[in-house]
Amino acid sequence: MGQRTSAAPKKGKKTLHGYQSEGLADWAGPLLQGTLTTLEIALAAYAIGILLGLMGALAKLGKVRVLAVIASAYSTIVRAVPELLLIIILFYAGTQALTALMNALGTDGRTEVSGFVAAIAVLAFVQGAYMTEVFRGAILAIPKGQLEAADAYGMTAFMKFRRITVPAMLPNALSGMSNLWLILIKDTALVSVVGFEELFFTAQQAAASTNKYFTFYAIAGVTYLMLTMASNAVFSKAEKLARHGQARS
Amino acid sequence: MSDSTHHSQFAENSQSCAPAVSVSNLHMSYGSFEVLKGIDAEAAEGSVTSIIGASGSGKSTFLRCMNLLEQPKEGRLEIAGETVEFAYSDKGRPVPVCKQVTRNLRTRVSMVFQQFNLWPHFTVLGNVTEVPIHIQGVSRKEAIERAEYYLEKVGMSDKRDQYPAYLSGGQQQRVAIARALATEPDVMLFDEPTSALDPELVGEVLNVIRSLAEDGRTMLLVTHEMRFAREVSNQILFLHQGQIEESGTPEDVFENPSSERCQQFLSSIIH
Ligand SMILES: Nc1ncnc2c1ncn2[C@@H]1O[C@H](COP(=O)(O)OP(=O)(O)OP(=O)(O)O)[C@@H](O)[C@H]1O
Ligand SMILES: [Mg+2]
Repeated sequence: MGQRTSAAPKKGKKTLHGYQSEGLADWAGPLLQGTLTTLEIALAAYAIGILLGLMGALAKLGKVRVLAVIASAYSTIVRAVPELLLIIILFYAGTQALTALMNALGTDGRTEVSGFVAAIAVLAFVQGAYMTEVFRGAILAIPKGQLEAADAYGMTAFMKFRRITVPAMLPNALSGMSNLWLILIKDTALVSVVGFEELFFTAQQAAASTNKYFTFYAIAGVTYLMLTMASNAVFSKAEKLARHGQARS
Repeated sequence: MSDSTHHSQFAENSQSCAPAVSVSNLHMSYGSFEVLKGIDAEAAEGSVTSIIGASGSGKSTFLRCMNLLEQPKEGRLEIAGETVEFAYSDKGRPVPVCKQVTRNLRTRVSMVFQQFNLWPHFTVLGNVTEVPIHIQGVSRKEAIERAEYYLEKVGMSDKRDQYPAYLSGGQQQRVAIARALATEPDVMLFDEPTSALDPELVGEVLNVIRSLAEDGRTMLLVTHEMRFAREVSNQILFLHQGQIEESGTPEDVFENPSSERCQQFLSSIIH
C-alpha cells in the first residue's frame, strides 16, 4: 500500500543537479498520466457512489427499520466528518482491517492494498453518503400518484424502481449529482495524502523536482478547471435529456 | 366473466348473471379509524355502478380496495376472476394478500385517478404501451397497435409522441383512460375522473366515459357529477360513514330515496 514509486520522468539527462535540466517537456507525460488516473478514480468512485446512494436512499425511505437506521447513520456520519480525515481513517483502517482479515485467514505477512483500489473505495464511500441524500430528496419529490399508478397496474417493486422511480426522479437529482461530481474531481487530490499518484501528487513532485512551483501548480489548476468545464458540458446535456418530459418555462 | 371456462354446464347457464364484482362484509380501517364498516355490493358484468356520497364517506377507500391499493381487514372480494378473503392475523393485523394474486388482479382491474398520474418521462404512446409490454408480456408491435386503437377511441391519436406535461388536464385524463383501456381490463375503476379539471374540460372526459358505458364496459365510478351518474349508471351506491345507506337504479336513488340521509345529500347537491 502507498508505495511511493517516483513519478519522475524515466528519460531525461541525470546530472549531479538533476532537477535543473528537467523541464515541462519531461513532466508532460507523467502529468497526463496523473490526469488520466484522476479521471479513472473519479469515474469509478462516482459509479460506485451512485449505487451506494441508490441503496442508501431506498433503505432510508423503505419500511425495514434496521436498514433505515444503518443508512441514516452512514449518511450522517460520513457527511459530518471532514473528508480529508475520513480518507486517512478509511485508508489506514481499511488496510489494517484487510491485513487482519488476511492474517486470520492464514495468509502471512502484510497485505498490499493497491492504492488505486483503496482510493476508489474511500472516495466512493464518501460519495455514496452524499448521493443517498440527493436521491432521497429526488425520490420524495416525485408526485405520490405516479408511483401509486405503477402499483395499481401491477408492477413489481423492482420494475417500479427501474421503470418509474429512477427516470422520474432523475431530473430532480441531476443538479445535485453534477455538484457531487465536481466535488469528487477535486476530492481526488485528497488521496494524494496517502501517497497516491494522481494529478495533484504528480504536479507536486514535478514542482519540487524542478523548482518551478508556480508553473506546475498552475498547470494542475488549469487541468482541474478544464475537467470541470468538460463535465459541465456533459451534465447540461444530460439534464436536457432527462428533462425532455418537463414542460417549458 | 371469464373464470367459468372449467365450470360445468350447470354453472355456465348462470354465467350471464354472474356478477363481475362481488363484495361482502368488507371492513377497512386506517389504524384504529374504521372507514368501511361492512360493505356488501355487487356489479353485473357490463354494468356501470356509480358511487356517491359526502366527502369523507369512504368512496375512494372503497374503490381502492377493489384493486387492493388498500387492504381490507375483513370480508371477501371477488373481482376479475380472483377471489380474495381478508382476515386478521393473531396479532390483529390484516394477513397480507399473496403478491402474485395481487398482481394478477391488478393487471385485470385498471384504475383512472383524479390526478391522472401519467408517467412524466414517457410519451403518450409510452404511457399507453408500458403496462401491456412490460407487465402483460404483449409484443411491442401489438402493444402499439392496441395503443393506437385506444388513443383513437379517446381522440388523442395526434398527440401520441407528446409528453404529458405538454397536454391540458382533459387531454391527460383521456390519455390516462387510454392507458387503462390498453390493458384490456375486466373492470375499470374511476375515482373522480373530472374533479381536477377546469369546467370547460369536464365534458370531453365524460363523453369518453359515456362511450365506454355504451360499449358495455364494467365500470365502478366515484363521481360528484350527479347528472352524469344518473344518465350512464345501471346502479347507484350511496355511501354514508362507511356504509351503503342506499342503493338501486338511478331512478330509485335519485327520485325515491328511502334513506333520509340520502335525501339530504341529494338536496344539498342538486340545486
Ligand atoms: N391514508 C389515510 N390515512 C388515514 N385516514 C385516511 C387516509 N385516507 C383517507 N382517510 C380517512 O378515511 C375517510 C374516508 O376517506 P375517503 O378518501 O375514502 O373519502 P371520500 O369519500 O373519497 O371523500 P372525497 O369525496 O373527499 O374524496 C376520511 O375520513 C379520511 O380522512
Ligand atoms: Mg375521494
